Amino acid sequence: MRVFSGQVPWLLQRLTALFLIAALLVICVVIFLGLLPDYSSWKAFAKSGHGATIIFVSYLAICTHAWIGARDVLLDYVKPISLRLTLLVAISLLLTATAIRLLLILGAQLPV
Amino acid sequence: MRLRIYRYDPDSDRGPHMQDYTVEPEADDRKLLDLLVRIKSFDDSLSFRRSCREGICGSDGMNINGRNGLACLTSINGLAEPVTLRPLPGLPVIRDLIVDMTQFFAHYKAIKPYLIEKAPPPDRERHQSPEEREKLDGLYECILCACCSTFCPSFWWNPDKFLGPAALLQAYRFIADSRDGATAERLDYLDDVYRLFRCRSIMNCTEVCPKGLSPSHAIEQIRQALLARSL
Repeated sequence: MRVFSGQVPWLLQRLTALFLIAALLVICVVIFLGLLPDYSSWKAFAKSGHGATIIFVSYLAICTHAWIGARDVLLDYVKPISLRLTLLVAISLLLTATAIRLLLILGAQLPV
Repeated sequence: MRLRIYRYDPDSDRGPHMQDYTVEPEADDRKLLDLLVRIKSFDDSLSFRRSCREGICGSDGMNINGRNGLACLTSINGLAEPVTLRPLPGLPVIRDLIVDMTQFFAHYKAIKPYLIEKAPPPDRERHQSPEEREKLDGLYECILCACCSTFCPSFWWNPDKFLGPAALLQAYRFIADSRDGATAERLDYLDDVYRLFRCRSIMNCTEVCPKGLSPSHAIEQIRQALLARSL
């Protein structure tokens, strides 16, 4: 598989989508079964090592999925290379900044 | 029957306009092409391509009431009036319903639409089992009318970079051919952000193909072949 192929982002977008669907289903089951019934139990989950890891990995999947989606839209609609590059970098910075912020919030709970 | 036809002559017109025609179908008129030929008999300035008049040559592709199709295969029965005819969308107009298909055929040429065999040729014919031959069904029938590619939004967005459904269907026709020896090179060429992966599975191509083929299925097969090779 070539690093700069068309297949890598295409595959990543689908894998992250599958992961997020699975995560969403788990959340639905948790809510439906009342396993985390209130705010304090969700907070405790987020503060646990497993919970923080799941939340962070899910967010990385969202960021990856969103970046590839935004890139696809920009490739289709934004033709000037400089403008396209600027927008791609801006979106990357925005997503990275939000991921770093989440990392700072969850950092103490993450196992690494 | 009322028809509203896109007219544009770059030598005399400032811009395109729609021209209305009324023509009464005669007893043996069955298809839209029959009406166009009838109009041509009294207005020879109207330009359109046609040749075989039976859905083989792919010359008379046009946009009929908002949907691409072949005039020779489109029955006049049931067509909403006025029948609005425009050139195939997304390609430069040469005149009236005639479009410049240079880009379309450049993409076709790029996928190397011929068998590439690296081994020395056999003494007699190249054998192919009935099962191997069956894999080409639904692929070799493409007549390159461009109805699919010019009805594909991805092709409209990137006509110079995205190969389009017709060229990709043809690409898979040679990937699927057991006699071809260049599958790896063909997949390498297609594994590109634009050439193949601009396809968003909108499936307009399959929806409008006048031959009932499924370019979107062929594109999916190419993606699967790429994936299988990577794994």
